[in-house]
Amino acid sequence: MSSRKGQRDAARVVREQLARERRRRRTIWVSAAAVVVLVIAGVVGWVVWSNQRSDSFTTPPGANADGTGIVTGGGPVTVDVYEDFLCPACKQFEQTSGSTLEQLVAENKATVVYHPVAYLNRFSTTQYSTRSSAASGCAAADGKYHEYAKALFAQQPPEGSAGLTDDQLIDIGTSVGLDRGSFGGCVKDETYRTWTEHVTDDASRSNVTGTPTVKVNGQQVENPTPDALTAAVAAAGK
Amino acid sequence: MSVTAPSTRGGRWPLVRPWLGIAARLGLAAVWLVAGASKVSDLAASGRAVNAYQVMPYDVATVIGAALPFVELALGVLLLLGLATRLVAGVSAALLVVFIAGIASAWTRGLAIDCGCFGSGGQLAAGQAPSYLPEILRDLGFLVLAGFLLIWPRTPVSVDGWLSGEPVVEDEDE
Repeated sequence: MSSRKGQRDAARVVREQLARERRRRRTIWVSAAAVVVLVIAGVVGWVVWSNQRSDSFTTPPGANADGTGIVTGGGPVTVDVYEDFLCPACKQFEQTSGSTLEQLVAENKATVVYHPVAYLNRFSTTQYSTRSSAASGCAAADGKYHEYAKALFAQQPPEGSAGLTDDQLIDIGTSVGLDRGSFGGCVKDETYRTWTEHVTDDASRSNVTGTPTVKVNGQQVENPTPDALTAAVAAAGK
Repeated sequence: MSVTAPSTRGGRWPLVRPWLGIAARLGLAAVWLVAGASKVSDLAASGRAVNAYQVMPYDVATVIGAALPFVELALGVLLLLGLATRLVAGVSAALLVVFIAGIASAWTRGLAIDCGCFGSGGQLAAGQAPSYLPEILRDLGFLVLAGFLLIWPRTPVSVDGWLSGEPVVEDEDE
């Protein structure tokens, strides 16, 4: 009797051990599968990202040597302006301080380099930041970057919308005197899309985390009011 | 020993726990899916958001920024399915700890950035103040969900449960 009970107990212990072993193996396999899924997901992200980036870029005439911005003027002090055509604060900056920058250029006190970055693509359904920046490259090719930029800010679409269409971008160009044929073709062909990517990448690399960012001889001006800009340029020019 | 008997602990806990478990699992799944989906459409911005913390070189930050949304989506899907819940909860907790540490370090270094937790990372509009404390508290809340699943990974309607072919019980899963 007792020996049979002993056998039953032994059999049960073995069964339980086998069951435990099965559970252990299953857990290991399931965990391994989950780890593989997570690693694959990460690699997929990296591959998608690498494929999105272009290796080379076309720089519009009028850009600086690095191809990271459009140069206006030739004064001794360099003012870098990082702006996104969808950014409301950039529109505000353009409207309050844009003429100050023009004046500093006219007085030959400063060289202004405009970097039209595409930081806010998520805030339009059509990558408006990239499209408008690429279009501004087309305007720069005809020497009308700042005129075009001002007109773009004046007609800035709201964040979260579809933005302006390519046709509207072209119409704005003709309104500031750009040729519908060559400028329009440039916008439609997205000739400077790779340049926009380069400008944006360079700005990110230089720790420009927001727009507008204004730097005077490399030093960021925290609150770029007309007075602050004039003072910063005067101080840097000494 | 017996796996059929409910917990020896009295009260409503054995009844409530599976429901809390599935709520935690689906809640955390939603967090990861939303976080991943908000970043996946603009991987460049995701890289910038990582770079804004200024804890790693830009090129490393862009790779992390590109991989992270996809890993978050994968975590969300695994939690939704209830597959390898304990492991996924562990990875989630580890990631959340890293995020909290990142936000805290940005705070102590006086950086003015958006955490980039759900898209729109890195940049803050002019005059906008960073909201580090709410961001940390929110992540701590998510950490509680992950911790719950780490301790009690077995929840109803999960692939884990289906694979083991056992009802939800308070067993000692390794």
